[in-house]
Amino acid sequence: MKNIDELINELAQNVAVVTPARHPVLLSLEWMTYAVVYLAASLLFSGFRTDLMTVFQDPWFAAEIAALVGIFVTTCLSAALLSFPDLHQMRRAVFAPALAFTLFVLVIFFAWLADNPPAPLPTHSFHCTISITLLALLPTAGIFFVMRKFASTHRYWSGSIAVLFAFSIGAIWLRLYEVNDSIMHVIQWHYLPMMFVGLIGMWLGKVALKW
Amino acid sequence: MTDNTDNFSALMKQSLAGDQIAYATLLKETSRLLRPFLAKRLSNTSEIDDLLQEILISIHKARHTYDGNRPYKPWMYAIARFRLQDHLREHYSDQLHHAVDLAELEESLHEHVTESAFSYESISREVQKLPLKQATILQMMHQEGFTAKQVAEKIGMKESAVKVAAHRAYKILKKTLER
Repeated sequence: MKNIDELINELAQNVAVVTPARHPVLLSLEWMTYAVVYLAASLLFSGFRTDLMTVFQDPWFAAEIAALVGIFVTTCLSAALLSFPDLHQMRRAVFAPALAFTLFVLVIFFAWLADNPPAPLPTHSFHCTISITLLALLPTAGIFFVMRKFASTHRYWSGSIAVLFAFSIGAIWLRLYEVNDSIMHVIQWHYLPMMFVGLIGMWLGKVALKW
Repeated sequence: MTDNTDNFSALMKQSLAGDQIAYATLLKETSRLLRPFLAKRLSNTSEIDDLLQEILISIHKARHTYDGNRPYKPWMYAIARFRLQDHLREHYSDQLHHAVDLAELEESLHEHVTESAFSYESISREVQKLPLKQATILQMMHQEGFTAKQVAEKIGMKESAVKVAAHRAYKILKKTLER
């Protein structure tokens, strides 16, 4: 390899005007805007569940959607922060999804307790997982494409959080589209696979976010 | 220049605006800071130089993620630690790749001692072409009849190290004699 001074001179000679990346909060707002537009377009295309107004009167359903939105917002912010080598020196904010997931698990737990007598299970099963995955493919590709332009020093976590962000869009879409009141079905075929996908995201991050 | 964080941030701001002199100064000061950081964690000088260059290139690639409005050093050290971890991971995975399984070694040592198709004398010329340490070990074990433990005591090595050296020597000899 070259001498350090030679390398420094070479790098300095090649320096050009660079526009610094936007603040991660602005960046995450931009990503969320795109995601909301995508979600709205998907819902307009697929249609809303027919009992949407009624089901929102159930406080546990409303809390579940609110918790999902919490995951959507916090994972987006966290992914933006993780794109910076130093997490934009906002280390605590990176852990915001942990709080959102805790709230989400509590909401699901209470919704499960309140599901008495249990709502009948729908006839389909894994189709929901596939639907969420298909809807999340485009946001996953999009967020990885954008994150590759940055310089993440936490590739595993970045990948996992980015995938969870994309899948939260799919999960919100399906809850607003599918007429289904069985919390057991939702846990089994919507949310548990989503957690598993978070693990796959770690591998994706390792591979796709190399720089 | 002092270690003042404001100076680094100011230099980086100027660099982002395309100022070559400010950028060269920043990189020089950065490498001055990084060298002791790496020297504490790596022993080999050439390794330190190589990694330092990699870190400087990474800083160059990632400079758009720094806006000059927050301290420079945490940003720079985050990149340095990331590259250091990558380097150590590669280094140790490589070491592991070349490691010799001692259990396997024990088996092959017995084979060579008791069931060798060659006498030491018939291959002594090939043995002499081996690195000095390996040649000495084979000579002591197979010509003078010492055990690995005795050889280890005589030449001041660990018994396992003697076995590893002998095993490597057998591998080289096997390749040479198979040609």
